[in-house]
Amino acid sequence: MNEAVVGTRIEREDGWGKVLGETHFPADVNRPGELYGAVLRSPHAHAHIRSVNVRAAAALPGVVGVFTAENVPHNAHGVLFRDQQVLVSECVRMVGDPIAAVAAETEKIAREAIARVEVDYEILPGLFDPEEAMKPDAPALHPDMHGPSNVLYHLPIRRGDMQAGWTKADVVVEKEYRTQMLDHAFLQPEAVLAYVDERGHLVVKVATQYAHYDRGEIAHALGLKYSQVRVKTMAVGGAFGGREDISLQIIAGLMAWTLRKPIKMENTRTESFLSHSKRHPMRLYYKTGATKDGKLVALEAKIIGDAGAYSSWSPNVVRKAAIHATGPYEIPNVQIDSYAVLTNNPYSGAMRAFGAAQPVLAYESQMDLLAEALGLSPLEMRLRNIFHVGSVTATGQMLTSSVGMAKCLQALTPYLATKGDAS
Amino acid sequence: MNIELRVNEQDFRLVVEPDERLLDVLRNRLGLIGTKEGCGEGECGACTILMDGKAVNSCLVLAAQAVGHELMTIEGVGDRLHPHPLQKSFVELGAVQCGFCTPGMILSAKALLDRNSQPSEEEIKEAMSGNLCRCTGYDKIVKAVQRAAEEVAR
Repeated sequence: MNEAVVGTRIEREDGWGKVLGETHFPADVNRPGELYGAVLRSPHAHAHIRSVNVRAAAALPGVVGVFTAENVPHNAHGVLFRDQQVLVSECVRMVGDPIAAVAAETEKIAREAIARVEVDYEILPGLFDPEEAMKPDAPALHPDMHGPSNVLYHLPIRRGDMQAGWTKADVVVEKEYRTQMLDHAFLQPEAVLAYVDERGHLVVKVATQYAHYDRGEIAHALGLKYSQVRVKTMAVGGAFGGREDISLQIIAGLMAWTLRKPIKMENTRTESFLSHSKRHPMRLYYKTGATKDGKLVALEAKIIGDAGAYSSWSPNVVRKAAIHATGPYEIPNVQIDSYAVLTNNPYSGAMRAFGAAQPVLAYESQMDLLAEALGLSPLEMRLRNIFHVGSVTATGQMLTSSVGMAKCLQALTPYLATKGDAS
Repeated sequence: MNIELRVNEQDFRLVVEPDERLLDVLRNRLGLIGTKEGCGEGECGACTILMDGKAVNSCLVLAAQAVGHELMTIEGVGDRLHPHPLQKSFVELGAVQCGFCTPGMILSAKALLDRNSQPSEEEIKEAMSGNLCRCTGYDKIVKAVQRAAEEVAR
């Protein structure tokens, strides 16, 4: 293997275009004769749609097309489950759910037109607390797709003998931790240009993390063959997981295909916040036991991830949280239960570290509290339990190489002794 | 309304709406797509341009307000054959990631270097405080401005 580049600085291939202002993000491309698209989004978190009246919107001069659920051939998309609608037909499950889309001669007209779409909502009580939503008597948010329970996913991990573990524990720390919802806030709001090319293919230019998936979902929703759809990835202005789901791709594609006109769409920052996934807020219930020598002997953890209104990547994210629940520490007796729960909150999906970030708050805080209870330094507490070659994780994986944690902590010891380590 | 704008040392006669933002005129009427819109409310700095050498958010300026002022966008800063030292240092030091904040960053830095060719690290951070980078590349951005300042001084 050629390792010559390791440790050297390589100039980005796309760097010059970016510093000169030449790079094309999707908002920067246009087609002659393009129309402008805008989306009406629900202001309610949970509602039944009685009717959608588009007459006033369609009558506005300059409006070329108004689209609702009935115009979508196969009205579903999603990375793991197709439980999200392109345009909502009956059931609104979160603020920001798309209801109707307009194509018009200018952005101004398109935005005026969506304000004229009349939606008759029957507002329903929302489920905003995942632990409430888990209860057996909570109303099911996706009965057709996900069954009678809002628990979308549960991963139990069991290792060793909990009874034996607690018997050995000289000190036990039990705490509850909560992490907050986060938005990626990538700097470039979603934008798209969709058109039918000279070969009769639907072309969708978009900033995406997942072009081949977008292509499949566009083709599925529109009832086209894969070979009729081309997704061209433009420069991506930050993503951090937030561009792994469908945003405007299908709506723009639907309008371009139906009207045979180029469609340009750009989210405002507000629309961007309302429409893409979030980092899972998690509740982490941790009970950790250690001997007086500072060796971890038992962990019982319950992790509840708020999936929000749609599944997106929730099972995978919550699975990763479970797998990382012990942190980089050897614990012989482990009971972990990790859940993804549907609610009426904005849907959660991929975001940097994909579920591995949230448990850090819990397991590292537990280590600090155990160290304090045992009169050990936080560093020593970690060194006595840290993974090394030969360690077995909670999921039974034997670590055979490249386990640099102890070495890394030892390298930090002089620094910690000066200011990092309060004790 | 009819207006005249001077952008990147070129004069343009334009017909614009009275409520049209300078950002939209630059992007849509003049095709200067290097100026980006990230928030539309003056928070992110992606639409930064220079107005008489001062960094401004072009989303907060009406096109009509720019009449009689000297405007510069990223397209006027340099080109492939003659890049500005800032453009060179941003590429060489890896201060570019997704690139969406980059034009605004470079223009804010240029406004600083044009009035203070030897800024301290604090002065650089203050001058760039109106420009957000969500890839969190701030450290390299500050270093790139320092490197460019050294080159400008030479």
